Amino acid sequence: MSESPADIQKHVKTYLKIGAGLIFMTVVTVYLSFVDFGSHSNNMLIGMAVATFKSAMVALVFMHLNHERPLIYKILVFATVFVTVMFVLFTFVHDDGLHMPGFEAQQGAHF
Amino acid sequence: MEIPYTVTARPDTGLWNAKIGIWLFLASEVMLFGGLFSSYIFLRLGADYPWPVHVLNVPMGFINTLVLIASSVTVVMSWASLKMGKWGACKLYLFITILCACTFLVIKFFEYKDKFHHYGVVMKDGTVLEGHLKDSQYLIKFDSITSLSVKADGHYPEFDPTFVFNHCTTPNPQLKTPAGTIITLDDKGLALLRAEVRKTAKDKADAVAKSTGQPAEIAPPLLPLTLTAVTPLSFAVNSTALPITQPLFGYTPTTLSFKDNTTVEGKLVDDKMTMHVDNIDVRSVPDIEHSVAWKYLPKWKEAFEEHRKERTELFHKEHPTKDPMKEEEFLRRGLVMALHSPTPEAGHHESEGVGELFDSFKATFGGGVHEYPEVEIDAKDIERWSNFLPKYNTFFAIYFTLTGLHGLHVLAGILVLGYMLVIDTRKFRNDPEHMANRIETGGLFWHFVDLIWIFLFPLLYLL
Repeated sequence: MSESPADIQKHVKTYLKIGAGLIFMTVVTVYLSFVDFGSHSNNMLIGMAVATFKSAMVALVFMHLNHERPLIYKILVFATVFVTVMFVLFTFVHDDGLHMPGFEAQQGAHF
Repeated sequence: MEIPYTVTARPDTGLWNAKIGIWLFLASEVMLFGGLFSSYIFLRLGADYPWPVHVLNVPMGFINTLVLIASSVTVVMSWASLKMGKWGACKLYLFITILCACTFLVIKFFEYKDKFHHYGVVMKDGTVLEGHLKDSQYLIKFDSITSLSVKADGHYPEFDPTFVFNHCTTPNPQLKTPAGTIITLDDKGLALLRAEVRKTAKDKADAVAKSTGQPAEIAPPLLPLTLTAVTPLSFAVNSTALPITQPLFGYTPTTLSFKDNTTVEGKLVDDKMTMHVDNIDVRSVPDIEHSVAWKYLPKWKEAFEEHRKERTELFHKEHPTKDPMKEEEFLRRGLVMALHSPTPEAGHHESEGVGELFDSFKATFGGGVHEYPEVEIDAKDIERWSNFLPKYNTFFAIYFTLTGLHGLHVLAGILVLGYMLVIDTRKFRNDPEHMANRIETGGLFWHFVDLIWIFLFPLLYLL
């Protein structure tokens, strides 16, 4: 990055704002986890949404991903694809029903 | 040789080299932690026990999150200061970042320590009692011990009687060897006994070697040597949850087996576990009315039923629509009760929702020491027990794996940033552009460590 000290000075303000925002959102995350949203999955969803937003702030502003060279995005796309596949695989393995009681009995019925 | 492209961009990538290097590394880190996060999902979805929620120390995790966020700000400020030519500010911010990293690890140390001293006892009927062991020990007491059979075979050539006799509570015990020598087990006696056992072992090995014609080194394992107590002895062995420090193989009502192959014969007098209970969990008990919890905490049964009733009423008030799934989930939460006082009358209170959050802050920083009911649990009621280590359940397994690996990253951050601040300091003035790029590279790693924690904190502590 070739930025003039004046540009950097502007960034500094953004960094401090984002830092304060992250701390505020941490307080919010802790608070929300003790609030009953009807079911635990709702709490899960809300908690993860806040965490994703926070980490996006860190990645975009602190790690300068809001203005980076294309090559870095290409590298990250690879990593993200692999991680997503891994998440999806794990979730599907769990949902295949193999662990359900009565699975063996059902299988037996076919033979 | 000069490393190329430390400051200027390489024409084909458009980036200075270290930057592309750190991003390739971070991409591999994304996949590493991604793998561990997916195992978290897998373990959580497949858990055959109620997944622990809010069992870790929320205030401590919360402070650690603030510390990491602050350090993320300071590391980027350090980079910006150097870019603006402020060396002093740059160094100061770098120093604060490292200080934050150290604070994080210190807090983590106390959290880990707390888990090592907190126990869960799973009863035969599924009841789980949690708490601290009285004096941090679980004593197995034997008396009327008249005979000890020690082994000094090929596996234990260096027989050490202190391994067993450290647990003997009879002062200066006297033992009779098969040869008829009487040894008093003071410091001198221990050396004498060691010599005697090793001599007997060697004599037997020689005898076997002579009769079989084989060299003594490959002689078959030796027979045990029996020592007789002149007056009956008493033993109190601290049975620990850690396999490394556990001195026992096991015990029966008449024998006590040590890990050095010594077997002691006597009478079991006490194997009750004395515990200060801070939590009752009956979610896995089919017959809650007759849970073994009420055998040990009879006074708490009424308080528990009250607590359960309150939860049910709260549920029906807040969720008037009948949703069987929600109802089941909610009512199950009423089957866990935290204890804060020795008796239900002595200021026991229930807190729910946000009140629970304030209570946890008060408990951590208020300085007040809670007292808990003390119970003596019969060993025959216990299915298994352990402190909160990876072996206790899959929650603690993934907790220690994820936070342990994350902690190692924090340590790596301290080393990398510390190197720039303390060891390679000339660059701050000589080559500030290169130095700024170095701090940016180290900073990128540090932000990533923060980013991982942003997910770890809610997943492990809150949800």
